[in-house]
Amino acid sequence: MKKLLVVLTILLSLTVLAQEVIKIGAIFPLTGPAAATGVKIKYAVEVAQEIINGEHPEIELLLGKSAGLPNLKGAKVQFVFADHQANPELAMAEAERLIRNEGVVALIGCYHSSATKPASQVAEKYGIPFIAGSSSSAALTERGLQWFFRIAPHDGMETVFFFEYLKYLNQKYNANIKRVAVVYIDNEYGVHAAQMVKEKIKDYQADGFTIVADVKYPASATNVDIEVQKVKGAKPDAIFHASYIGDMTMFVKKYKEFNVLPKVVLSYCGGYQDPQFVINLGKDADYFAGPNATTSALFKKMPILAKINEMYKAKSGVDIDGPTLEDFASAIVIAEAINLAGSTEPQKILNVLKTGTFMAPYFVSGRIKFGPDGQNIYSASVMTQILNGVYEAVWPEQYQTKEPVPQFPEWNKR
Amino acid sequence: MFLQVILTGALIGSVYSLVAVGLTLVWGLMDIINFAHGDMMMISMYTVFWLYTLLKFDPFVSLPISAGITALLGVLIYKFVIKRVVNAPGLMALLATFGLSLFIRNFAQFLWSPNYRFVGESILSGKRIFLADLIIGLPQLAAALGSIVMTFLIALFIKKTKTGKAIQATAQGRDIAELMGVNTEKIYAITFALSGICVGVAGTLLSGIFPVYPEAGAMYGLLAFVIVALGGFGNIWGAFYAGILIGLTEALGGFYLGTQFKYALAFLIYLLVLQFRPKGLFGW
Repeated sequence: MKKLLVVLTILLSLTVLAQEVIKIGAIFPLTGPAAATGVKIKYAVEVAQEIINGEHPEIELLLGKSAGLPNLKGAKVQFVFADHQANPELAMAEAERLIRNEGVVALIGCYHSSATKPASQVAEKYGIPFIAGSSSSAALTERGLQWFFRIAPHDGMETVFFFEYLKYLNQKYNANIKRVAVVYIDNEYGVHAAQMVKEKIKDYQADGFTIVADVKYPASATNVDIEVQKVKGAKPDAIFHASYIGDMTMFVKKYKEFNVLPKVVLSYCGGYQDPQFVINLGKDADYFAGPNATTSALFKKMPILAKINEMYKAKSGVDIDGPTLEDFASAIVIAEAINLAGSTEPQKILNVLKTGTFMAPYFVSGRIKFGPDGQNIYSASVMTQILNGVYEAVWPEQYQTKEPVPQFPEWNKR
Repeated sequence: MFLQVILTGALIGSVYSLVAVGLTLVWGLMDIINFAHGDMMMISMYTVFWLYTLLKFDPFVSLPISAGITALLGVLIYKFVIKRVVNAPGLMALLATFGLSLFIRNFAQFLWSPNYRFVGESILSGKRIFLADLIIGLPQLAAALGSIVMTFLIALFIKKTKTGKAIQATAQGRDIAELMGVNTEKIYAITFALSGICVGVAGTLLSGIFPVYPEAGAMYGLLAFVIVALGGFGNIWGAFYAGILIGLTEALGGFYLGTQFKYALAFLIYLLVLQFRPKGLFGW
C-alpha cells in the first residue's frame, strides 16, 4: 500500500510538472534561402517567451508582470521551433510532427504564406489554433478556416494602402503618379500580391492609375537583369515589389546599373522591411518605401516597443523590424489567449481568440482583434520611407516622423 | 533593347560557362558527380567577402587567394570523400557529395549566419560603359572576360601540357592510364584542384554582383549540371558554348515570353537537345 502511494505521488507530481510547461509550436524558415529572416524571427519569439516566463514589470504587457501564465498557476510556455526551409511540404510535415509527437497546444508561423497555408490546414484538421504573424497573402484568410488567425495586414489591405498613399502623394505633392509596374516573386506571396493589384486597381482607375508592366521572376533567380530591363522599358512612375531580401537587393543594384528612376517604389511586407536592406545597400537603399508594422524612428514615441527592441537587439544585434514584430505579437497573443482561457483545451483557446481584444502597445494600432475570417481588423502599418538610412514614418500624417519624398533622384547624386 | 537583352544574356552565360567548365572536368572527364560544386563557389564568395570586410582587399586582389582556397578545398574533397567512394558504384559518390553539399551549406550558415551580404566596393563597382543605347556594367564585363580567359587557359592546359594529357588519358581509361605509368590518384587530385580554381574564379568575379549567402551557389550548381550535359561531357569548349546558349535563352526567353519562364526555357532546351543528341551538342 505504501509503495502504491509513493508511486501515485510520483506520478501525480510528474503530471503537475508536465503541466507546468505548455508547448506551442513555432514553424519558421530557420535554414534555406530565407534563413536570415527566420533566425531573426526566432530571436523575437524567444524574447516573447522570456517576457511571458520571466518577470518584466517594466514591459507593460498582460503577461509581463508575473512569471508564467497567472491563470494556469504560473505555468511556463515553451515555444518548440521547427524549420520549414521555405518549403511548404516541410511546413506541413513539421506541423503534423509538432502536434502529434510534441503535443503542442497551438501553432505559430510560418513567415512564408506558401508554408503557412498547408501548415494551418494541418492545424485545422487536428482542431488546434494557428496564428500567423507576418504571412501576408490574403488567400490565407479567405479559406473559411475555423482555427486560423492572422495578425499582419494582408496584401489586399496593403494594396489599398499603396493606392491611397499614391493618391495622397498626387494630391499633396502634385507627384503625378499614374503608371504602375508590379514586380513579384513566383510564389504564393508574390503571385497573390500581384493578383490583388490587378483587382484593387479597378477601384482606382478613376484616379488615373494603370498597370504598365507585370514582371514575375523565378524564386531562385541567379540574376534579375532581364526583369529590370522589362521594368525600365515600361517607364513606370511607381513600382510595387513583392520580393524577399536577397532578390530585392539584387533588383536595387540593377535599377542603379540600368538607371531606372521611378517616382516611388513600394514594397509588400518582405525584403524591404528587413534592416539588412539598408546595411547591404547603404545610400542606394534611400527613397524606397513600404508599409511597416514598426520602424526604429518610432521607438522614441513608443516606450514599450523600445524596451522590447532592447531585449531583441541584445540577441540579434539589429533593431526589430515589422514582420519580426508581427511574429513576436503572434507569440504574445497565443500565450495571452491560453492564459485567458485558463486552460490548454483548444476549444476554450479558440473562443478567446474569436471574441477577445488583445492589447498590443508595441503596434501603432495599439490592439489586435480578429474578425470572423480570422484577420486582425486593426491594421498595424504605417508607410515608411528610407531617408538617410533610417526608416522614417511618412504616412498617415499623424505618425509622420519625416515628410515623404515622391521622386527618386539621379543614382549618382545621392 | 534587343541588343541589350542579347548582351545581358551573353554576359550571364559566360559566367555560367566557367562554373560549368569546373564541373565538366570532374563529371565529364572523371565521371564523378560532385553535388558540392556550387557550394565550393559559395566558399569562394565568402572568402572574397571576408577579405574585403576584414582586410579591405579588393575582389581582384583576393582572386588568387580565393581560387587557391577552393583549389585546396577541391583536393581535400577528393582526398577525404571521393577517394573513398571512387571505386564503389556511381551512386555512392553521388550521395557522398550530396551530403557534403548539405554539410558545407549548413556549416556556412552556422559560421556566418544566413544573412545576405554584399561586397560593397571594388575598383569596378558601379562603373558602367555606355555604347549608344547599351549599358554595360563593368563588374559584369569583367566577370564575362575573366570567364573566357579562364576557360581558354583550362582548355589549353588540358590539351597542351603533359598533366593535361594524363587527365585525358585517365578519363578515357583509368586502368590503362595506370599501366602506362600515370599516377591516377594524383591526376584525380589535380582535376579536383582545377575544378576548384574554376569555381573559385567564378565565385570571386560574381561576388561583386550577386549576394553572398550560404545558398548562393545552389542555382549556379544546378545550371552547371544542365550546361555540362548540354555541352557534351568532358568537352570544355562545349560547356563554354552551352553556357552562353543557356544565358541567351534565359535572357531572350525571359524578355519576350515572360521572366517567369526563363529557367523553364533553359531546361526545355536541355531536354530537347538530349532527345536528339543524347551526348550533348558537342559531345564525343
